[in-house]
Amino acid sequence: MKRTLSLLAYAVGALMRRPGKSFALAAGLALAVALVSAVLFLTDALRADADRARDAVPDLVVERIVAGRIATMRATDLETLKIPPILSVSEIRPRAWGYLFVPALQGNVTVVSSPMSEPELDSRAIDDGRDLKPGAHEMVMGRTLAHALGVVIGDQLQLPSPRLAAPPLKLVGTFSSKVDLIAADVIACDESDARALLGLPTDEATDLAITLSNPDEARIVSQTIASRLPGTRIVEKDLLSRVYALAYGRRSGIMLAASIPALIALLLLAWDRASGLGPEEKKEIAILKAVGFATADVLTTKMLEALVVACAGTAIGLLLGYSWVFWFGAAGLRPAIAGWSAIYPDQALTPMVDATQLFAIAFGVVAPFVALSIIPAWRAATLDPMEAMRG
Amino acid sequence: MNARAIFGAAVLVLLPTTLLLLAADARVRRDQKQTEIPTLVAVAKRLPSTDLALSGGARWLRTPSLEEPGAAFSDGPALPDPDPAGGAVSPPRAVWTEEARNGQTTGEAK
Repeated sequence: MKRTLSLLAYAVGALMRRPGKSFALAAGLALAVALVSAVLFLTDALRADADRARDAVPDLVVERIVAGRIATMRATDLETLKIPPILSVSEIRPRAWGYLFVPALQGNVTVVSSPMSEPELDSRAIDDGRDLKPGAHEMVMGRTLAHALGVVIGDQLQLPSPRLAAPPLKLVGTFSSKVDLIAADVIACDESDARALLGLPTDEATDLAITLSNPDEARIVSQTIASRLPGTRIVEKDLLSRVYALAYGRRSGIMLAASIPALIALLLLAWDRASGLGPEEKKEIAILKAVGFATADVLTTKMLEALVVACAGTAIGLLLGYSWVFWFGAAGLRPAIAGWSAIYPDQALTPMVDATQLFAIAFGVVAPFVALSIIPAWRAATLDPMEAMRG
Repeated sequence: MNARAIFGAAVLVLLPTTLLLLAADARVRRDQKQTEIPTLVAVAKRLPSTDLALSGGARWLRTPSLEEPGAAFSDGPALPDPDPAGGAVSPPRAVWTEEARNGQTTGEAK
């Protein structure tokens, strides 16, 4: 132990004798680790956040496709599905929702008719104010949207709509910041107001949400629906995870590809380690051997030098990557992977990374870095000291 | 003990300590989030989907799980594809060619 500590002290001294090189190596490694780890942390967090409320999603959603685009479902479609009843279908709910372009924001908001069958939202879901009452021309909106529109509880708002009949709505509550990631741009109102805003006739619906008594039969039920309503698109709940994995995985892949220059810098650092030692270092090794260092001691010293640099660089890199994403909101990186919007939720993301994954990333960086430093050190350590000193 | 040895040992210990601290922070945040799931589900039941409200510029980005596939250009003529796909992994052209060849052969046989 004492011997190892003495060699460690010597290794630190050797690094301090070359402060510029040591700092450049550690800083380059830290930056590359920070960039790559931040992309991985952010992607994992987004995927998990998107998947977290999956229990609330209907088992099946049926949409009508006309000319390759989504059209509204008609009352006759609903009847076709209801009669005769399909086994395992416990509820078919026509939904009225859609997008409304708000010129003041230069962006779309999502207008949703709140199903009155659902229990009233409590203070955990609504930060400020209360849940809406049907028939009172009220609305609840996302906190970020209310902030962007500059409205407060009690304000009346006339939203632009294709129909002049759309009444002004009174803001009675804002969704909690805890749900901002899914509801930042949402305006929830009762069905008649949503239809008026969206210009959706009473005998039509945006889509049909289907709840099954046995979700395992989703595939069979969707086949039955497809045979009764040819040309419809049926979205199964199970496919959602795949959508999120594809969307965020693809974006992080593009981001990682864009960060190839940083990775090349890391490879250059590794190459610098692998390509051999400079004449000064060779001379230093020769002197060590001349004063009695064994080859194993020289190798241990060089390995400890590399280990100190790799540990410092990786620790700082992971700390930078983590804090960038989860403490400072991934400024600059988030729009590239998460998406951009006129109404953007600033809710903090939840880290999904655990100790095992962190240790795996650290091992993946430190192990090759140290291994690459041993080869040239071994080559130099086996040289004849006299020859090495002569250069 | 030599000051340099202490410094070296501290740097070596820095990595596992940092990893454990980050893992602990992540765990605390995850546990905190876990308590918010019932609220999240209660609100999500009122929404058309649980897609994240991160891209409201176009409907296929706001609710990608519910929008029609292949409609990226439908909201604006000559607009660039905001979410390009297929750049890194090319389509299985060999399979398609083989399929097309098989189809032709079958057609000729008929």
